[in-house]
Amino acid sequence: MARRRKKLEAGSWKLEAGTQQQPPPAAQAAPPPAPQGPPRNWPPVADRTLIGKSIKRLDGPDKAQGKAKYTYDIIRPGMLYGRLLGSPHAHARIKGIDLSAAEKLAGVKAVLALKDPAGEGANGKAFYQGDEIAAVAATTEEIAEDAVRLIKVEYEPLQALATAAQAMSADAPAVFPKGNVSQQSLQQEGDVEAALKSAAHIVEGTYSTQVQTHTSLETHGGICEWEGEKLTAWVSTQAVHGARDGIAGSLKIPQTNVRVITDYMGGGFGSKLGFDYQVVVCARLAKLANAPVKLMLNRKEEHLVTGNRPSAYAKVRAGVDAKGKLVAFDAETWGTGGAGAGAAFRVPYPIYVFPSRRQRHRDAYTNAGPQRAFRAPGHPQASFITEVVLDELADKLRLDPLELRMRNVLSATDPSQEDPSRQWRKYFPMGAEKIGWSKRHPTGDPASGPIKRGMGCAGNTWGGAGSRATRANCQILPDGSVLARIGTQDIGTGTRTLVAIVAAETMGLPLTGVKAEIGDTNYPFAPGSGGSVTVASVSATMRIACENARDELFAKVAPALGVEPSALAAKDGRIQVKDAPSKGMTWREACKLLGVQPISADGAFGPGLSSTGTSGVQFADVEVDIETGVTRVKRIVCVQDCGTIMDKLTAESQVYGGIIMGLGFALYENRILDRNTARMVNPNMEWYLLPGMSDIPEIDITLVDQPDRGPVGLGEPPVISTAAAVANAVANAIGVRVRKLPLSPDAILQALNEERTGGTL
Amino acid sequence: MTEPYASRHITLNHCSNLRHKGMYVTDTFASERQEIEPTAYWCLCTQKSFGPDGHPVSPGDCKSSRRCCEH
Repeated sequence: MARRRKKLEAGSWKLEAGTQQQPPPAAQAAPPPAPQGPPRNWPPVADRTLIGKSIKRLDGPDKAQGKAKYTYDIIRPGMLYGRLLGSPHAHARIKGIDLSAAEKLAGVKAVLALKDPAGEGANGKAFYQGDEIAAVAATTEEIAEDAVRLIKVEYEPLQALATAAQAMSADAPAVFPKGNVSQQSLQQEGDVEAALKSAAHIVEGTYSTQVQTHTSLETHGGICEWEGEKLTAWVSTQAVHGARDGIAGSLKIPQTNVRVITDYMGGGFGSKLGFDYQVVVCARLAKLANAPVKLMLNRKEEHLVTGNRPSAYAKVRAGVDAKGKLVAFDAETWGTGGAGAGAAFRVPYPIYVFPSRRQRHRDAYTNAGPQRAFRAPGHPQASFITEVVLDELADKLRLDPLELRMRNVLSATDPSQEDPSRQWRKYFPMGAEKIGWSKRHPTGDPASGPIKRGMGCAGNTWGGAGSRATRANCQILPDGSVLARIGTQDIGTGTRTLVAIVAAETMGLPLTGVKAEIGDTNYPFAPGSGGSVTVASVSATMRIACENARDELFAKVAPALGVEPSALAAKDGRIQVKDAPSKGMTWREACKLLGVQPISADGAFGPGLSSTGTSGVQFADVEVDIETGVTRVKRIVCVQDCGTIMDKLTAESQVYGGIIMGLGFALYENRILDRNTARMVNPNMEWYLLPGMSDIPEIDITLVDQPDRGPVGLGEPPVISTAAAVANAVANAIGVRVRKLPLSPDAILQALNEERTGGTL
Repeated sequence: MTEPYASRHITLNHCSNLRHKGMYVTDTFASERQEIEPTAYWCLCTQKSFGPDGHPVSPGDCKSSRRCCEH
């Protein structure tokens, strides 16, 4: 039977904050309307005992002591170890796979061919290095490695496409069935050509960002254990329910036969929201071997096959009038995410008003691992391109780039009302004050000597709304314990602690008085932890479940106190009468009234407890050595909102992490493919550079609390602006514009050299 | 204008095995269709960016005319 689908209406390109964010529900049926219940709210700010405070993670000690068991750490009785054989070639026809030697090796329990030499398209070909060819399961990791080496594969290497330029060249080989380049997509508003003609100043240039590979500390993979036709899978995933969908769908078994567990996971950043191929292979090996199998990727495989932030290229023309009002932005853009679509990004970045704008985009397909969602997909690329163009326009005008931003940044649709999701006009001056912007010199540090100092800034926006499909359960047990269950997962952000905060705040208990259980498909549905939707989804829904449970307890207690249930409050470990706090009983005494029957209440996501839309700005202060090209970021200032701050400590941690990841994008990370073979030359953490401790600058965070909005997601926003702010600071320091990332020493020296021979500004 | 290759505009004509991140995140407030989308697609059956027939997955490709398409 055809699944019920919701057809989305086409819309124009509206300049709205947060529109370049997360996908709509698309093919899924619309979430059911939330069950009607009493209106729910967060407690008044003055009454909040936990929400908004700096609360340490409940599982911090377990993590620090190694007691927290990540998927990678789990060992099951009789467990085998799985390994994959990946293609050494970026593009090859598979002419034969001989598993016999591997099958005969002592200790090998299962071997699978994952390609079919007679197969069509990708079934009979490797389209990127690491493309999975075969898999084994053996009693030890070493035997599994040996068995992989015994698999004989006959490859016919084919010409590979390593770069977008190669894929787009007229004489490129036809590698992909429908061509190496996608059809062009177009978005436009206004008459760009006429607007550019009216401009007082125009900037033209080509801007680019590199491919950034996913480098989560815990690699992808899982452990699969069958019991008859039922499968339990411990998966390093950002979506336990999504993983169940993928595993069951791929294995063609009922979802009711699959349970996915993720107690702890070591980072995903978008790469663990689907594509659970290695877990499906793991399940097949486990079935074949009739034993549990663990299959976790190694670091090299992570770089090759678990996704990336695609490259971005933009040939831009942008104009500004003599009064400093932006008039037009025209961009021809392209990029590659490897052997799959999805390299798009939208420019201009939608926090600045360009009345006329046009973007024409094409994806180029190359023989490299396909892209996946990567923390704020499309945003850092678009932010870099747009913010650098803005600084160049400011230079043309001889105007402070901060002033140019203030004249053009998006503000509230209704000027008479403040829009809490569009606060850049307030935050830019706050950040400027903190970084000491008044001391900033015009482009090019006039100081003598090779060390040049500069400042730059950039803004960001995101959505971060909650999902209406979210459900939760809260139980109050007769012994006074409280159990809060929700099928979300803690991807390292502190979600387990968040659930406990909401439950404890609602029950008037200390954090130790409640137990949060997450990371299991046996718990009520919660969305994947992507798109910064988790805090809004989980907080709002858990609050409702807990209030529903607490109200049931009030109903039990009220007769004993001779009042109506609505007269009661849960506070300081007591159930008491609001207007007469001395009249009441302890929480434990109240729960004894339940007898032997616990309260179990469900909650469905409801409106009013969360919001959508964030704004933030970042400023960078850098030093650049123009003799070596080395950039040292001295300081990052960040002003960021996220609605109601639920846990200040973990919110700040999100921002620290985002900025550090943004620094990696700005200065270090770069997937390098051999231009002839398309093989990655740096698939490790030695030559694929990430920021180390000594690279991390002083980071000054101002989190703006909006206590009346309810929470909004914060995972994505802090990573967006860092690279743009650093790039603008570098140009301010050295007086030369570097229009590509990463801002590596060679890129800076090359730009300085080009300046000497013709100029970049 | 040509059909957007990378649009998330998925309809009844598309294969029910077509997946993208948004389907698991379900941000139901972002309902506005955009022509230019930074979205990766994959196939539920293969868990890869290629379908059971070995060809790439996308809203433009995963329609009823494709032999592996399911509804």
